[in-house]
Amino acid sequence: MVVVLSGVIVSLVGVLLGAWWIPFLAGAGIALVVGRPLIAIPAGAAVGLVSWLLPLAGIQVRYGLGATASSLAAIMGFDHRGAVPVILALLVGALLGVTGAWLAGAALTLARPSPR
Amino acid sequence: MTTAPAVEERPAFGTGVARQPRRPIRGFVNLAASALVSGAVLYVAFFPAGPLPALGPSFNPATGAWTMAADAQITDRTLPLAGLEQPVRVVLEPNGTAHVTAQTDHDLFLATGYVHARFRLFQMDLMRRQGAGRLSEIVGKVAVPTDTFELQLGLLRTAQAEWNALPAGDPSRLGLIAYAQGVNDRIAEAESMHQLDAMFTLLGYRPQPWTPIDSLLIKGDMTQTLNFTDTPLVMALLNKSLGADLTSEWFPVLPANQQSPYDTGPYNKAAPTPIAPVVTSSLVTDAAAQSVAAVYDRLAALPAGLLARGGESNNWAVAGAKSASGGALLAGDPHLHLTLPAIWFQLTMDSPGYHAAGVSIPGTPVILIGHNQHIAWSLTDAQNQQTFFYLEKEDASHPGMYSWNGAWKAYTTVAYDVPVLGGATQHVTVKLSVHGPVISERGQTTSVWWAGNVPSQDLGVLLRVGQASNWSEFRAALRDWYSPTHNFVYADDVGNIGLISAGYYPQVAKGQPWLPMPGTGESDVVGTIPYDDIPQAYNPPDHIIWSANQREVTADYPYYIGTASNFFDPGYRADEIHRVLSQPGKLTASDMAALQTDTRDFLASEIAPVLLKSLDGVKLNATETAAVDLLRSWDYRMDADSPGATIWAYFWGWYVGETFDPWWKSRAVHIDMGEVYDALGQDLEAWTLHDPGNRAFSAPGVGSRTAVDAQRTAFHRVIADLAKQLGSNPKSWTWGRVHTRVLENLAQIAGLNYGPRPDRGDAYTPLAARGLRSTEGPSWRMVVDWGSRTFQGVYPGGQSENPSSSWYTNRVDTWWKGSLDPMLSADDATGGSGVKTWSLHP
Repeated sequence: MVVVLSGVIVSLVGVLLGAWWIPFLAGAGIALVVGRPLIAIPAGAAVGLVSWLLPLAGIQVRYGLGATASSLAAIMGFDHRGAVPVILALLVGALLGVTGAWLAGAALTLARPSPR
Repeated sequence: MTTAPAVEERPAFGTGVARQPRRPIRGFVNLAASALVSGAVLYVAFFPAGPLPALGPSFNPATGAWTMAADAQITDRTLPLAGLEQPVRVVLEPNGTAHVTAQTDHDLFLATGYVHARFRLFQMDLMRRQGAGRLSEIVGKVAVPTDTFELQLGLLRTAQAEWNALPAGDPSRLGLIAYAQGVNDRIAEAESMHQLDAMFTLLGYRPQPWTPIDSLLIKGDMTQTLNFTDTPLVMALLNKSLGADLTSEWFPVLPANQQSPYDTGPYNKAAPTPIAPVVTSSLVTDAAAQSVAAVYDRLAALPAGLLARGGESNNWAVAGAKSASGGALLAGDPHLHLTLPAIWFQLTMDSPGYHAAGVSIPGTPVILIGHNQHIAWSLTDAQNQQTFFYLEKEDASHPGMYSWNGAWKAYTTVAYDVPVLGGATQHVTVKLSVHGPVISERGQTTSVWWAGNVPSQDLGVLLRVGQASNWSEFRAALRDWYSPTHNFVYADDVGNIGLISAGYYPQVAKGQPWLPMPGTGESDVVGTIPYDDIPQAYNPPDHIIWSANQREVTADYPYYIGTASNFFDPGYRADEIHRVLSQPGKLTASDMAALQTDTRDFLASEIAPVLLKSLDGVKLNATETAAVDLLRSWDYRMDADSPGATIWAYFWGWYVGETFDPWWKSRAVHIDMGEVYDALGQDLEAWTLHDPGNRAFSAPGVGSRTAVDAQRTAFHRVIADLAKQLGSNPKSWTWGRVHTRVLENLAQIAGLNYGPRPDRGDAYTPLAARGLRSTEGPSWRMVVDWGSRTFQGVYPGGQSENPSSSWYTNRVDTWWKGSLDPMLSADDATGGSGVKTWSLHP
C-alpha cells in the first residue's frame, strides 16, 4: 500500500507539473518494487487512474468540467458528448500505469534467476 | 495480456533440460507483448495518430486542453506586464467588451495587444499563418496549395515592405511594436500558467513570438478577402466559350439595371474618357485561355474566403436636419464570413492621444469601425477593380525572361521553405515580373498586379481616423488609404454626414482591364484616380447618404473603376436602403436598427408583379393557383415564416436558369453560372422590365420566346419542384424550411459551429443571407445617434475563442433577434454589476 501511495503521490506531482507520462514510470517502479505482476499491474492502473483523476476532479470543483468536456467532445467529433473525453483521459492515465507495470514486470521476470 | 506464465511454477513432466527452454520463451513472449502494447500506448500518447491528437499532452488534466476550464474564468486581477510605462486599467463588461485606459499611447497599444491575445491568440496565430503561408506547418499537406498560393501572391513580402517603409518614430510603428510586446507578454504568461488556447495543445505546437509584421499580415489577409478577385479570368473564359458578342452584351462595364449611386456628381475631370464597350472581338488566344483556365481552376480550388466574392455590407448616415434627435445618425453593418470566434473584438481604447470605441480585428492595434468623442465611421467594400492579370510574352531563345517595353527582362525570384507537418518541407520559388507575381505558367505565363501588394499604411490611417474630429481631418487621414478600397461613411457631433470611397483606383495606359492584358508594357497600370476625383459626398442636399457595395457613381463618371459583373453589387440593397431613407419624415436610431434587419427584397418588389401579370390567363393547377395567391399577398419580405419568400426565391433561380442554361449548354461555357449569377440577374431584371423580347430568351434549342414565356415555364417548373420537395400545400413552404444560417468555427470544427438555424433574408435584402445555407452576413451592426449621444452595436459570437467560455457565443441571440447592445464608455461600464477589472502595472 505504501508503494502504491508513493506511486500516486509521485505521479500526481508529475502530472501537475506537466509530466503526464510519469504514471508510466510509476507503474514500472511499482512492478520493480513489488515484483509480482498480479499485484503490480492493477496497482499501476490505479496509480495512473488516480493521478489523472484527481486533477480533473480539481477542475470540476474549481471551475466545472461540463462545458470544457462538451467542447472537447465537439472538437473530437463526438457531438458534445462530454463523457467521451473524460473517459478517454482517465483511460490514458490508467493505461500509462498499466503498461509501465506490465513492461517492467515482464522484464523483471525474465531477468530473475530461473527456479531449479 | 497474461501475467501468469512469467511467474508460475509448472509441474515438470520432462527432464530438467527439457523444462528450461519453456520459461524463457514464455517470458520473452510476455516481454514482447508488454513492449508492443506499451509502445502502442506511448505512441498514441506522445504522437498524433490519424484524427487523434497526441493523447498525453492533449488530455493531461493539468496542462492539456482541460485548462480551457480555467481559461474561461474571468476574475479581477492585478498583474505585472513587461514593457508597461505606467499602470493601465482594463475594465471588462459582463458581456466581455473591454475598456482599456492607459496613461500613454505606448501603454494603450501594449495593453490592447495583451487583451487581444488573452482572448484570441489562436485566431491571431491562424490568421498570421494564413498570410505568411505557414498553415501546412500545423495542419499538414492539406494546406500546401494555400500556403504556396499565399507566398506567390505576396502578403508576406508586402507586410515586410510596409514595415520597412515605416520610419523610426512613426506613431503606427511605435504602436505596432508596443502591441507586439503586449501579445508576447500574454504568450509568456499563458505558457507559464499552462493556459495556451486548447487548440495549440490539440494541434501540438506553441505560438512563436508576435512581431509587427504579423499585424501587417493580418491586415493583408483582410485586403485579400475583400478585393483580390478572379473576375478578369472569368471574363476571359466567358469570352472564349460564350463568345465575344454575348460577353460584351451580358457583362457590360456599366450596369444594365437602374441603380442608386451615392455620388451623383458633378464629377471632376476636364476631358472625360469615354468608357469603351467590354469586348468587341475575340481577343483571347488558345494559349491565353489555357493559362487563364489553369489560374481560374487553381483559384477556385482555394478555401473560401481567400478571394473576394462580392460584398453584402451596408452603411449609411442621416444628417441632423433629417434626424428626429437633431443629431446625425450613422449605421453600419459590414458583412463577412461569419465565424466563431468572430473577426471582431469589441473594445474602447483610451489614452491621452487616442480615444476610440468600436471593433478591432485581433492582431491589429486599432479600432477599424467605431466612434470617438466627435465622429463616427463605418465602412463597406467599394468593390472597384484592384486586380489585373497580365499575359507575359516569353520566347524560347530568352529563357527565364519576358518582354517588356521592347526589352527582355529577367524575372526576379524569391525562394521560400514551407514546413509541412508530417511531411517534407516544400520549396517554393516565386517568379516576379514588373507586374507582380507569376501565378501560372501553363499555356502562357500569367502574372497579377494587385493593389493589395502596394504597401498601404492602413494602420497609421486608422490611427489618424480615430483621432479626427471633423470631416476635413477624417478625409485627410483617408488620403493615404490605398487598399482595400472602402466606402467610409461619416457622421459627426454637429450634424454633418459624408461618405468617401477611399483607396486606389488603378488606371491602365490602354487596353481592356476587365480581361487579362498583354504584359508587354502598353497596358500597365499607370496611376490611380486623383483623390479629389474619387467617389465622395459631403452633406448631400437630401440629407442622406448610403453605400451597399453598389457602383458608387453614375454613368457620367469619367473614369473606369470596374465592370458591372462581379465587381459591384447588383444594387438591390442600396435601392432598398435608399427607398427607406428617402421617405418623408424624420428618422430615429430605431429606424436605423430596423433597416439593418430589413428583409424586403427590392428585386422581388420589381419582378414579382410582372410575374403575376405574365401568369394572368394562364391555366394553372391547384398548387400553382395557391402559389399565385400567396405571391399576390406577399409583402416582398424574405421572412422565415413566409411561403411567398420561398416561391419568389426559387422562381428567380429557375427563371435565371430557364433563360441562360440553354446558352451555357450550347456553348459549353466553362464558368459555373453561380459565379456570374448576379451579373446575369441584372440583365434579366432589365430585360424583364424594359426589353422582354431580348434575344437572350430565345436560346438555341428553345425556339423564339419572350420574357413572359420564360417566366411561365419557370413558374410551372418551380412549383412542381417545390411540391416535390416540400409537399403540395404551398402555405407550408415557409422560407425558414429551406433557408438557414450558420456561424462556422474558424478552425472548421463542425461541432463548434452555431446553427444551422432557419433564418430570414436573402442575398438582396439589407439583412443579407446569401444561399440556402448562408455562412455570411452582418459581422457587426452599429447605430450611432449623435443627438442623444447613444452608441449601440453587436456582433455574432463573443469575445472569447474558448468554446467552453460563456463569452464564446453570448452575443449571438441578441444579434439574431436584430437587437443591439449599448456601447458604453469605460466610465459608464466601471462599477456595474458583473464587471471585472484588471490592473496592469509595470
